[in-house]
Amino acid sequence: MRQMLVLALVIVAGMSTAVVAQEGTVRKLTPAEQAQLDTDNKGRATAMTAAQWLARRSGGNQAERKAWEPTPPPADPRDFTGLWQLPGGNINLLQENGEGAPFTPEEAKRTQQLIDAEAHGAVLTDAASQCFPHGVPRLNFAPYPIRFAYLPGEILMLHEVGHNLRLIHLDRKEAPKDTPQSFLGYSVGHWEGDTLVVETSHFNDKTPLDFHSSHGTKLKVTERFQKQKTSQGYTDLVVHITIDDPEHFTRPFTVVRHWPFRSDMAATLGADGITEYSCEENNRNVETTSDGRVIIK
Amino acid sequence: MKFVFKPVLLAVTAVLLAGGVSAADSDSWAHLPAAQRPDPGTPDYTGKWAMPTPIRALKTTDGKEPPLLPAAKAKYAANQAALKTNPKSDPIANCWIQGVPRIIYASYPMLIAQDKDRVNLVYETNHTFRIVSLRRPLPKWDDDLDPHWLGYSAGHWDGKTLVIDTIGQHDQSWLDYSGLPHSEKLRVQERYTLDGPDRINGELTLTDPETFSQPWSTRFTLVRQPGYDLKENVCVRDHKM
Repeated sequence: MRQMLVLALVIVAGMSTAVVAQEGTVRKLTPAEQAQLDTDNKGRATAMTAAQWLARRSGGNQAERKAWEPTPPPADPRDFTGLWQLPGGNINLLQENGEGAPFTPEEAKRTQQLIDAEAHGAVLTDAASQCFPHGVPRLNFAPYPIRFAYLPGEILMLHEVGHNLRLIHLDRKEAPKDTPQSFLGYSVGHWEGDTLVVETSHFNDKTPLDFHSSHGTKLKVTERFQKQKTSQGYTDLVVHITIDDPEHFTRPFTVVRHWPFRSDMAATLGADGITEYSCEENNRNVETTSDGRVIIK
Repeated sequence: MKFVFKPVLLAVTAVLLAGGVSAADSDSWAHLPAAQRPDPGTPDYTGKWAMPTPIRALKTTDGKEPPLLPAAKAKYAANQAALKTNPKSDPIANCWIQGVPRIIYASYPMLIAQDKDRVNLVYETNHTFRIVSLRRPLPKWDDDLDPHWLGYSAGHWDGKTLVIDTIGQHDQSWLDYSGLPHSEKLRVQERYTLDGPDRINGELTLTDPETFSQPWSTRFTLVRQPGYDLKENVCVRDHKM
């Protein structure tokens, strides 16, 4: 198979003098191609060689090559399809908004105790590090790709990290009466202009808000998702997240994140840009150091 | 909290059938952004579905044992023996992601969210989803694939039938609850055909030259679950919560 691809490559690109001579010998990649190969290799346990990458790029017919081309961000402001990813995700409520979150005295004390314990070598573990769903809004701060999908009356958020799955009900104004508590809560949403407003409640109290601060079961989270237009089109999805938990904070407060559109990643092998993340098998949040210490990232 | 197929849902289905309301023919993609709507006439599999008859042990379409090669037959027998003494020898007892096709007949409902370029298959069991591109072909360099629990899938239309091909799966998963094994060379073809608005006739073809002496097929049925609200379903082994 590989040889057939290589042969096809030679025929297709016959005008180029230094194309594939034999398997494993390839022309030198341009800097842009090398950068793309590096990007494509991210997250792959076995890196593609330049030969394999060129075969993938050049092999197949024209329709196939076109199929792997990145798609631009949709022009419709209510169209959230495509791949979005927060770069270098992080959340620290002590530093958020330059002033810290409005902790109640008790929550401030709890948060500081955890920070001190960690400074003295304690390994902190939380829901996400044990492969439970991350909770909301914590899920919004993970640096992994997200896809939206649409059903009649519902919008799905499909997260690569820990295959977290959120379901936003557009066909009702509130959660049913018997709704149980859960890690990701119960979400209802509606459109205000081109902003998707999502209100989530019925959380359990097992997920942290960042890495040290907690919340209770009275937590209500309001997310406002809006595409932001730049000269390149709708390149960012901006989410304003309002956290309201009277048992842990003295007033509601809002944090903001920008998720860039990642058309480049959509061609990553796998589920249309979402690489399988099996937390249960291989927890990427946990790292064991050479001296045997477990670090929860 | 096992999902139980409720007779009341059967009743709803019967009314819909009698009324002649066909979601499949309505061509209504109003819930999708305009640019993501499939071409007119594309069959619509969007909705909530469940398998009324759970399948524990896969058999061929004509009810026979799968055509296992001798080594695979021995492995199947060993898996079955292990299950008898230790139910946790089932890979899903570790909460690992169920492979294809096993995820299809987990005892929980599923959602299908379809658009122009892809079919999203969302399973309640352990919040698992598959995003199947209708635009991008299967990768060609099979030898270079890192195996995944759900493998690598690509879909296409064969007339009104949705066809999904999957390769590149871990060999640690079982094909069914009875312990039927497979190798990393497994290729699964799923064929989904609407039979009226509220029923999908499914067909699986399994090809695995290291496990089976020849490709073989089996069938399953999915029935629409109007109004079903997918639950948070979490499976975690060995935790401190």
